[in-house]
Amino acid sequence: MIRKYLRTRGPTAVGLGVLTFLTGCAADAELDTLNPQGPSARSIDNLFDPVFYVAVVVFIFVFAGTFIIWWRFRDDHDDEEFPHQFHGDTRLELAWTIVPTLILVVISVFTLITLRGLNETEANAVTIEVGGTATQWEPEVVVVGQQWWWEFRYYLNGLDGVDLTDARHLPPADIVTANQMVIPAGEEIELSVTSRDVIHSFWIPALNGKKDAAPGRVHPWKLEADEPGVYFGQCTEFCGLSHSRMRMQVVAVTLDDFAAWVAEQLQPAAEPQAAAAQRGMEIYQSQCARCHVIDGFNDNDGADLVANAAPNLTHLMSRTTYAGGIFNMYEPDGSLDRTQLEAWLRNSPAEKPAYAEGRRGMPAMGLDEGQIDDVVAYLTTLGRAPSLDVIAATEVE
Amino acid sequence: MTATTTVEDVVGQPLGVYTRPRGGNGWRDWITTVDHKKIGILYGVAALFFFVVGGIEALLIRLQLATPNGTVLGADMYNQVFTMHGVTMIFLAAMPLSAAFANYLIPLQIGARDVALPRLNALSFWVFLAGGIVLNLSWVLGGAPDGGWFGYAPNTGIVFSPSPGMDFYALGLQMTGIASLVSSINLTVTILNMRAPGMTLFRMPVFTWMILVTQLLLVFAMPVIAVALFLLAFSRLFGARFFDPSVGGDALLWQHLFWIFGHPEVYILILPSFGIISEVIPTFSRKPIFGYPFMVFSGIAIGFMGWGVWAHHMFVSGIGPISVAAFSLSTMFIAVPTGVKILNWMATMWGGRIKFSAPMLFAVGVVSMFTIGGLSGVTHAISPADTQQTDTYYIVAHFHYVIFGGIIFGLFAGLYFWWPKVFGHQLSDLIGKVNFWVMLVGFNLTFGPMHVLGLQGMARRIDSYSPGFGFEFWNMVSTIGSFLIALSIAIFVVNVIRSAMKAKGQPPCGPDPWDARSLEWLTPNPTPVHDFDEIPVVESLDEFWHRKYGTDENGRVVRVASAEEVCQDGSAVGVHLPSPSFWPIVFAAGLPFIALGLIFNLWLTVPGGLLVVMAIYAWVFEPVDDPDAAHGDVSEVADTTEEAPVV
Repeated sequence: MIRKYLRTRGPTAVGLGVLTFLTGCAADAELDTLNPQGPSARSIDNLFDPVFYVAVVVFIFVFAGTFIIWWRFRDDHDDEEFPHQFHGDTRLELAWTIVPTLILVVISVFTLITLRGLNETEANAVTIEVGGTATQWEPEVVVVGQQWWWEFRYYLNGLDGVDLTDARHLPPADIVTANQMVIPAGEEIELSVTSRDVIHSFWIPALNGKKDAAPGRVHPWKLEADEPGVYFGQCTEFCGLSHSRMRMQVVAVTLDDFAAWVAEQLQPAAEPQAAAAQRGMEIYQSQCARCHVIDGFNDNDGADLVANAAPNLTHLMSRTTYAGGIFNMYEPDGSLDRTQLEAWLRNSPAEKPAYAEGRRGMPAMGLDEGQIDDVVAYLTTLGRAPSLDVIAATEVE
Repeated sequence: MTATTTVEDVVGQPLGVYTRPRGGNGWRDWITTVDHKKIGILYGVAALFFFVVGGIEALLIRLQLATPNGTVLGADMYNQVFTMHGVTMIFLAAMPLSAAFANYLIPLQIGARDVALPRLNALSFWVFLAGGIVLNLSWVLGGAPDGGWFGYAPNTGIVFSPSPGMDFYALGLQMTGIASLVSSINLTVTILNMRAPGMTLFRMPVFTWMILVTQLLLVFAMPVIAVALFLLAFSRLFGARFFDPSVGGDALLWQHLFWIFGHPEVYILILPSFGIISEVIPTFSRKPIFGYPFMVFSGIAIGFMGWGVWAHHMFVSGIGPISVAAFSLSTMFIAVPTGVKILNWMATMWGGRIKFSAPMLFAVGVVSMFTIGGLSGVTHAISPADTQQTDTYYIVAHFHYVIFGGIIFGLFAGLYFWWPKVFGHQLSDLIGKVNFWVMLVGFNLTFGPMHVLGLQGMARRIDSYSPGFGFEFWNMVSTIGSFLIALSIAIFVVNVIRSAMKAKGQPPCGPDPWDARSLEWLTPNPTPVHDFDEIPVVESLDEFWHRKYGTDENGRVVRVASAEEVCQDGSAVGVHLPSPSFWPIVFAAGLPFIALGLIFNLWLTVPGGLLVVMAIYAWVFEPVDDPDAAHGDVSEVADTTEEAPVV
C-alpha cells in the first residue's frame, strides 16, 4: 500500500515538502542569513549556496542508495540462501576516498578566496563636519559589548593612537551611542569589536557574519550596507541571563543624512527649560549619573557597574530602541511610548531580567510616580526624534 | 594481581576488616561486583536514567521555545536547564551508555573473562555515578550550572555566575572525567593484552577497534578537560584569575582547552556507535563488513585528525585568519574518512539479503541521519559560512543530527541487538520497529526545522524570541517533534517491561538469535558469570560465523554446524574469577564529600578525604580472593587458576 502510494505520490509529496520549507524561509525574517544586503554577506552567501547544493547532491545520492538497498536487497522470506560474500574492493575504496577529497579541494580553494576577501579592508573616506571644518573620515566604529547591550563609539580623528585594550577604561570618543549603529550606506565600515565583561558576539546577518566581542581583545571586522535601511542583529555568544534580550540594529543612511547625524550627535545636551524637566534633571543628577553619562552635563569617570559603563544618554531620543534594543521608544505615529518608558524607570529588572544587585543591569530606582514623570520630561529633551520612516523601520516586537 | 599476592605473603593472614565480600545475587553483590558484565549493566541503567533526565530537560526547553516570549521557564531557569541538558546528555548519558557496551562486550569480543583491572573497572562506574549525582545535586543546593555545557570564561566566573552551579559543574565533571580516564586505561590495556589465542589485532571486530580508538582518544583528551576544570575550580573557589584579562589572564584560554578536549569528545561519542552498527549491518545483511581494513583505518584516521580540528568551534572567537584557514581545511578533510565509513556500510548492505529487524532499522537510521549531520558539517567547515551559522539553530540542528542521529540511534541499535546477550530474551521486534519509526519521525520533526530556524537567524541559547522574525511555525513543529521522541522512549520502556514479563519463567532464548558473527555469541544467552567455558582459539575475523558456515565446492555458503553445536553451554565449573571488593564504591563515596566540602564548607572534605584514603589502603591490603573464588562449583578447588592468555 505505502509503497504504491509512494510510487505514485512520491514526487508530489517531495515537492510539497520543499515548498513548505521555502515558505518558512520567506517569512518576515529580519535576521535571515540567506538574504545578504552587503558585499561581505553576499560573498559568504555565494560560497554557502554552491556548497549547500553539493551537499544536497550527496544527500540524494546516499538516500537514493539507501532506498534502493531497502527495495532490492530486502529479504522478506527468511531465505536460507546466503548472498554472495564479498569482502571489499580496493579500487572502490580508493575511488570514494579520492573523489570526495577532490570535491573538498575545490571547495577549499573557494573557501580560502572568500576568507581572504572577508579579512581585507579598503581605504575609503567620507566627508563629515567636525567643529565647523569639513574632514575626511575613514569610517570605523568601536563596538563594545557588555551585559546586556551594545555601545558604539565613533572616533572621528581615526583610531591611530587610541588605546582600546582595556575596554572598561576607553579614551573619550566623539560620539557614543547604544544599540543602534548609524552608518553611511555604500561605504565599508571597519569595526573594532571588544567587550567590557564576558564574551558577546556581534552579528548583523544581512551585512556580514559574526565576530565575538571578548574582554582584553580587540577583534577587527567590517560591515557594509548596499542601500540605506535598517539591519537587525542579535548577540550570538551566550552571555548570561539576558543574552536573548541583547539585540542591535545597524541604521544605514545616505552620506548626507550621515553627515547631518554626526553634526547633531556632536552637540552636547542643553539645559532644559520646563520646570518638570529641570526637576527630572535633578533626579538624574542624584540617581542616574552614578552610571549614565550626558555630554555637557556629567562627565565619564566610570559607572558603578561591573562593566564600568551604562548607555550614554546625550542623544537618547535620537534612538528608537533602548534596554538592549528590546523596547520601542516611539509609537508608530511618532509619539513617545510613555507606558513602556515609565515601566522601565519604575522597575527595570521586572521588564528585563538582570542582576542589578550584582551591579549588572539597571536597578529599580525607587522613584515615585511624580518623579518618574519628571525624569521622562527630562529624558525627552535629550536629542531629537528621527523621522517616521526610521521609527517604522526600526520597530521591534 | 602479583603485587597483592606479595602483600598477602608478607602479611600472612589478612586482617578481618579487609575480608573480601562473597559473590551472590543480592544488592550487596551489585555494589561490590567487579564483573565487567554487571558493571556494564550498571553503566547502562545509570546512563538510561540520566538519558531520561536529560530528555525531560530537553522537553522543558522545547516547551519554553514553543511560542514566542515563552514563560514556562524564566531566563535564569532556562539557562540552568539548557546547560544541564547538554552536560547530562554528553557526560551522563551518551558516554556511559557507550561505556556500558564497551564494558559488557569488549572482554567477550576478544575472548577474555574480564577486563585487565576489574576493581578499577568498578571504580570507574562508581566515580562516574558519584559525579552524576554531584552534578544533579546542584538543583537543590543553590542552583544548577548556568554557563552552558561549554562553560565559556569569563561568564562562568564568580562575578558573572554567583550561584554555586558552576562549582558543581567544575567538580562534578572532574569526577566523571576521572571515571572516563580510569576506564579508558583499563579498556586499552584489556584490548591490547587480553585477547584470546589467535585474536590478532586484525581479527578484532570493528566494534572492538572503534572502542580501542575511543579509549586512546579519552586517554589524551580527559587530562585536558581536567586541567581546564581545575583552572575553573581554582578561579571560582580560591580566587585564581586564569581567564581575567585585566590581570594578564586570557578569556580564550578556556576555549582552547575546552575544545581540544571537546572536539575529540565528539569522536569519543560517535566511534562506539560506528562500531555498533559495523556489527549490526553485516549480521543483518548476511555479508561480511565491506572493506574491513578501510573501516579500521578510517576510524584510526578520524582518531588522529580529530585532534586537529578543535578551533572550528572558534571561527568567530577572534583567532586570526591564518588559524581560521588552517582549521577550516582540516575540518573539511575529516569528512573524507567519515564518508568512507558511510559508503562502506552501504556497500556492506549492497547485494545482501537484508533482514530489517529493529537493530538493523536503527543502524540504517544512523547511516542516513548521520549523513545529514555530516553534510551540514561540511557547510560550516567552510569558515566564512560558519560566521553566519555558528551559535544559531543551524548548529543545533547539525550536532543533533550527529549526536542523536549518529549516536543515539546507534546505541539503540546496540540495545536491541545485544539485549538477548545480556538478559537472555529478545525485545519485541514489532514494538522495536514502531519504536524506530516514531523516533525517526519525531527526531526529524524536532531537529529538521532547526536548520531552517538557524538559517533564518535564530540564535542559540536564547531563552525566548520575539514574534516577527518568522521563528514561530518551525519552533512549534520542533516542540511537537520532541514529544514524539519522548513517546518513542516510552515505547522502548514498554518494550523492555513487556518483554521481561513475557520472558519470566520461560527458558532463555537460543544462543544465536540473529545469526551473528563475532565471538561474544559463542557464550550462551544470557552470558554466564565466567563468560567462556574455555577460552576460544580464534582463526579468523568473524570467528563465530566461520564456525557455523563453510563453503561448498561451488563457493556457496553452507552451514557446517548449528549455533547450538558451536556455542558453549556455560557449564564450566571451578573457573577462577576476580573477587568482588567493597573499596571501589567506598572510594567513590568519598568524592562527593570532597566536592561539597570545597563548595560549602572545607571541613566536609575531611570525612571525604578519609574515605578515599581508607579505600585506597584497603584496596591495597585486601586479600586476593574472596572465600569462594572459584565459580560454578564451589566444591572444586580454585587452584586451577586460569589467567586469560596473552597474545
